[in-house]
Amino acid sequence: MAPLIEAHDLTKKYGAQVALDRANLSVEAGRIVGLIGPNGAGKTTALRAILGLTSYEGRLSVLGRDPFRERTALMQDACFIADVAVLPSWLRVDQAIDFVAAVHPRFRRDRATGFLAKTQITGNRRMRELSKGMKTQVHLALTMAIDAKLFVLDEPTLGLDILARRTFYDALVNDYMDETRTILITTHQVEEVENLLTDLIFIDKGRIVLDTSLEDVATRFVTVAVASDRLEAGRAQKPFYERHILGKSELYFENADREKLAAFGELHTPSVADLFVAKLSGSAA
Amino acid sequence: MNTNLWLIRREFWENRAIWIIPAVFGALLILTALFGHMNLPTLISPDEIHTFGAAFLVVFGLMFYSVMSLYATWYLLDCLYADRKDRSILFWKSLPVSDTNTVLSKLIVALIVIPVVSFVTADLTALLAAFIVSIRMRASIGAALWQPDLWLQMQVLWIYAVFAAAIWYLPVAGWLMLVSAWAKRAVILWSFMPPLALYIVERWFLGSNVVGRVIGIRLTGLPAVALNPSGGKSWHVDAATDTLSLPSSVLHFINPLGFLSNPQTLIGAAVGVVLIIGAIQLRMRRSEI
Repeated sequence: MAPLIEAHDLTKKYGAQVALDRANLSVEAGRIVGLIGPNGAGKTTALRAILGLTSYEGRLSVLGRDPFRERTALMQDACFIADVAVLPSWLRVDQAIDFVAAVHPRFRRDRATGFLAKTQITGNRRMRELSKGMKTQVHLALTMAIDAKLFVLDEPTLGLDILARRTFYDALVNDYMDETRTILITTHQVEEVENLLTDLIFIDKGRIVLDTSLEDVATRFVTVAVASDRLEAGRAQKPFYERHILGKSELYFENADREKLAAFGELHTPSVADLFVAKLSGSAA
Repeated sequence: MNTNLWLIRREFWENRAIWIIPAVFGALLILTALFGHMNLPTLISPDEIHTFGAAFLVVFGLMFYSVMSLYATWYLLDCLYADRKDRSILFWKSLPVSDTNTVLSKLIVALIVIPVVSFVTADLTALLAAFIVSIRMRASIGAALWQPDLWLQMQVLWIYAVFAAAIWYLPVAGWLMLVSAWAKRAVILWSFMPPLALYIVERWFLGSNVVGRVIGIRLTGLPAVALNPSGGKSWHVDAATDTLSLPSSVLHFINPLGFLSNPQTLIGAAVGVVLIIGAIQLRMRRSEI
């Protein structure tokens, strides 16, 4: 089966500034992919290109379509939450449901109203009267009621408190995700989505630094803590990143010989957050 | 089609001024009709009665239309800018609605829906005001305000005015939408600074005034092109006798064929179409500011 999203040499320039620099990535159906990068790395530009919100150079196919030329058709099968602030302040909840129901062939009104019935939100409220957390719930209700193949979330929990963030992700996983859906999510709060993701894409300075599944991370990457007297020996094994804490050095290896490394100490699979820091610092060095 | 109707409905949700402004304006006029000081001459001749009845309706239509034209200008400048400013464009663009549909629905609201709302509210207000004024001033004006043929003729005039103005002001609307889709801030400044700069540059360096004339004709020249100055009896104010005469029928007054075959109409419409295509292209490429 062809990948759901396939980008080849995807490039976007804003004047002299290069936001995406020949980025290559592919996303398979049924995955939950985290697009992770520091601020200004090109995450949002990549999402904008995927959603047809910006023109670009290079090849990009989303659900078999050219997103910029065919945004209208694409949006029947893909939906997105840019961030919670974007629901217009003058819009009433019931108007939002009416409008989406009228223009979206795959919107199921009963699902949206059913989701909202579980909250405190009533149809006559305007978005400007709702708290950020409530707005997120409305947006999620609208979006999850769409039978879409691809769901894109750009920093969906920005500015939300911990309770609202937890509610958001629980709803996403419990009420929405199944094997027919694909979710692409960007965030810089890696810890929050770590347990959710099946795939990782790291992006830095407009380039894709890593594109892998989480299963592969465990076989591909390994860290080992090395005492300072054995640091030079550890370095000989060519770690791509080292981190010094409490008199020990944590060395990060990619595709390394685990038997040799085991001699230095216990081997660990790095967390997504640690791997992110290691990969980005490593590539910058 | 269904999508387009919902897009127009959406504009009413967002821009409640479309009906609040004429409602408030109408209420003020009704209050004036109820409590305002009135001193009307006694109408005697059929000509006077006819003229008074027609002038009454024309004044109502023009008042509402003028107020709402100002609002429509603001609406056009704001319509592709406001949602970029508050970032809600990202919500609208997450729906399967094309940018062409979005831009055209806003254009239709400005050029058709707002004028129709103006004339409908003008008619309703005129009806109520005619009722009040006829009772208050029945001694002097009698049934001058109840001439069915005039009411009917005015509706023809209003429909023609909506249609002619929509075509004539297409380039103006196109320009305002282009600015609205393009500007990152200060839409009002951007709407008149480039034409003003062109005008000044032309005056200084060439000494001519083509830009100024073209803009001036576009903004004020609609009546001259759309109405018939020679057909039948036209508008006429006689200062000596302080009388206003009107054509005997509005049908002699409107000039649709002349309007549609006027090169200024056609060139303007073509420029308008180009500007609107430009606005759609910008809308496709720009998201939030």
